[in-house]
Amino acid sequence: MDATGDGVRVLSCGEVRTCLLQTSASLPAASAAQLLQLRPDSGVSLSARPNLHVVSPELLTGVDCLFPAKSGAKVRGVGTVRARAVLTEGRVLQATACFRAPARGPEHRQPWGHYLVRPGIVEPAGRLEEGDAAAGFLDGRAGGVQTLDPGAVAERLIGDLHAHALLDRRAPFKSRRTRLRWSALRGDPGAAPVIERFTLADDGLRTVLLRVPDPDDEGVLGLCEDLALHDWLLTTLVHMVERSRLGSVPGPEAVAALRPAVDHLLHLWMPMVRVAAPLVPLWEVLERTPGFSAQWRILVQRIRDQLALQAIPLLRDDLTRH
Amino acid sequence: METVFHETTAEPRVAAVPLAHVSLELGHLYMDDFAAGPERLRAHFGRVRPWADAVTAMTAAQLPRGRPRISTCFLVDDYFTRYSSPAELVPMVLAEAEAAGLRIDYLARESGCARADGVELAASVLARLVEAPPPGSNGSRPPVREVGWMCNGERTPAVDALEAMSGVPAWSPPSEVGARRHSVFTDVELWDDRGQRRTWSCAFLAAVWQLARLGLLRHRGDPVMSPVRWAGGFPGDWDALPAVVQLREEAAPFAAYQTCSVLPNRFLDVEHAVRIVLGRVQVEPRALEQVSERAAQEGFPLPAEVADRAAYVLYSGS
Repeated sequence: MDATGDGVRVLSCGEVRTCLLQTSASLPAASAAQLLQLRPDSGVSLSARPNLHVVSPELLTGVDCLFPAKSGAKVRGVGTVRARAVLTEGRVLQATACFRAPARGPEHRQPWGHYLVRPGIVEPAGRLEEGDAAAGFLDGRAGGVQTLDPGAVAERLIGDLHAHALLDRRAPFKSRRTRLRWSALRGDPGAAPVIERFTLADDGLRTVLLRVPDPDDEGVLGLCEDLALHDWLLTTLVHMVERSRLGSVPGPEAVAALRPAVDHLLHLWMPMVRVAAPLVPLWEVLERTPGFSAQWRILVQRIRDQLALQAIPLLRDDLTRH
Repeated sequence: METVFHETTAEPRVAAVPLAHVSLELGHLYMDDFAAGPERLRAHFGRVRPWADAVTAMTAAQLPRGRPRISTCFLVDDYFTRYSSPAELVPMVLAEAEAAGLRIDYLARESGCARADGVELAASVLARLVEAPPPGSNGSRPPVREVGWMCNGERTPAVDALEAMSGVPAWSPPSEVGARRHSVFTDVELWDDRGQRRTWSCAFLAAVWQLARLGLLRHRGDPVMSPVRWAGGFPGDWDALPAVVQLREEAAPFAAYQTCSVLPNRFLDVEHAVRIVLGRVQVEPRALEQVSERAAQEGFPLPAEVADRAAYVLYSGS
């Protein structure tokens, strides 16, 4: 129960966009904090253990539009979407925008101040079928109707941050941006949190359906950011290994193509360290199938093997030259 | 499971401030009022006195138990025009208030609402404004902003935009969001820039003033515009005085659950603008919670919306 005395929230939806920070060198802690200082009066949250993890203050964007709905039902929602940016090791930038919704809201739009004391909540006009909205949100836009679009808010935040004077906009390597969209529904009382579905689509969109004891739980946000970060790392490394044409081009060429991985990515793999304890089992499910860490380890091993192999002839050349 | 490891930079904290029930503003003093002499102030305080008594009685009636904590304050404009000096003006204000049977607990400077304790307060509040979305806003387009302005609805489309689109009707009226059939559309100027200098509008500074009195301003989690106890003589320069000065040791806390301002009715427009701004400020959520929790513990009725916590008495005359 919160201070405003509203009914419980039954749904949380959001989107995380993850990309390489468009600048040549990783940002040290002080610059990372400066970049994410989205508002002068609220400090960033900065954590240095076990890796550098900086979280911006949250920004609100007002919305008044239809909720997504798989069935095509038209339920108006009014409120605010909250957005924040996260920078990991001064290298990987994420923007997350999300909202939560109660099952029932006022029939008519209230004065705007009503919504500002409920940050991040979008209230339905009347009754909301949360399962329908959750599925509609993961499916994407239906029938050309403009429904709630937190992804656009996240995208704008990334765009704004990339215009910052601290960045030289010269990325050390090419990479794709990924999107992870989640819906979390309230589970049965006393039931453990479960991840019902994790879907990878080829256009860089990942969708996650969760059932949790409390969709208000901030841990859901942290879990989804952690999943998105590691999914991006894995996706990026897979592409890099593919592009290096490892095994089909001469060794030195492949090594040159893989070098950014060593410089910028390999030390970033640290799944679950920032996930709230009750939600860690959800990650562990994904570690079994498809086995994110297993795939990561194999890729890293391949890269290291190549580097080792290339070091041997170099050494021999060195010896014969002298 | 207990967490052993903590990082203070990763766990932002928000300090609480002491709270009275009501912050009662006994007046705003501008250059013109000062120029009109002590008689103007005497007449003003004479009009305020019965309302001050009424606020005390009303607050007592709202309390389930105990005595009402009411602090009084007085705002002096040292921002738009510099006149007189604290040494000359403050004793005169205090004497006239006392003659009317009023006591002033806190004296504030208007420039303190722009900048206090080394913090650009007005700029911080500006960064917390969240535009009310017109119907159809789904987050995909940035909110329409007119730099330096804030309105309570949708503006008339700009003339050049109309000319660019042929066949579009010449004019469409502005509209108030959430209007009951007919609009009362208001556009509030928040600041202007002349050369290198930004000047905040009176309406915007008055909104900051309300937020300070409602105990909702923080800078990196710390209270700002906190009162400083002042005893003894007053300096010859306004800048030598803190943003908010506490004049009486035994005064109730400066910040309060609700505010009430007793002002002549020429302030109606400015305070309407203040209400529009207050309805669009996203205050620090933790500060908001602290105030709500404390009010609930005391059983004091607190409107959920920030703008509804500010009450006014606008008396006739100047």
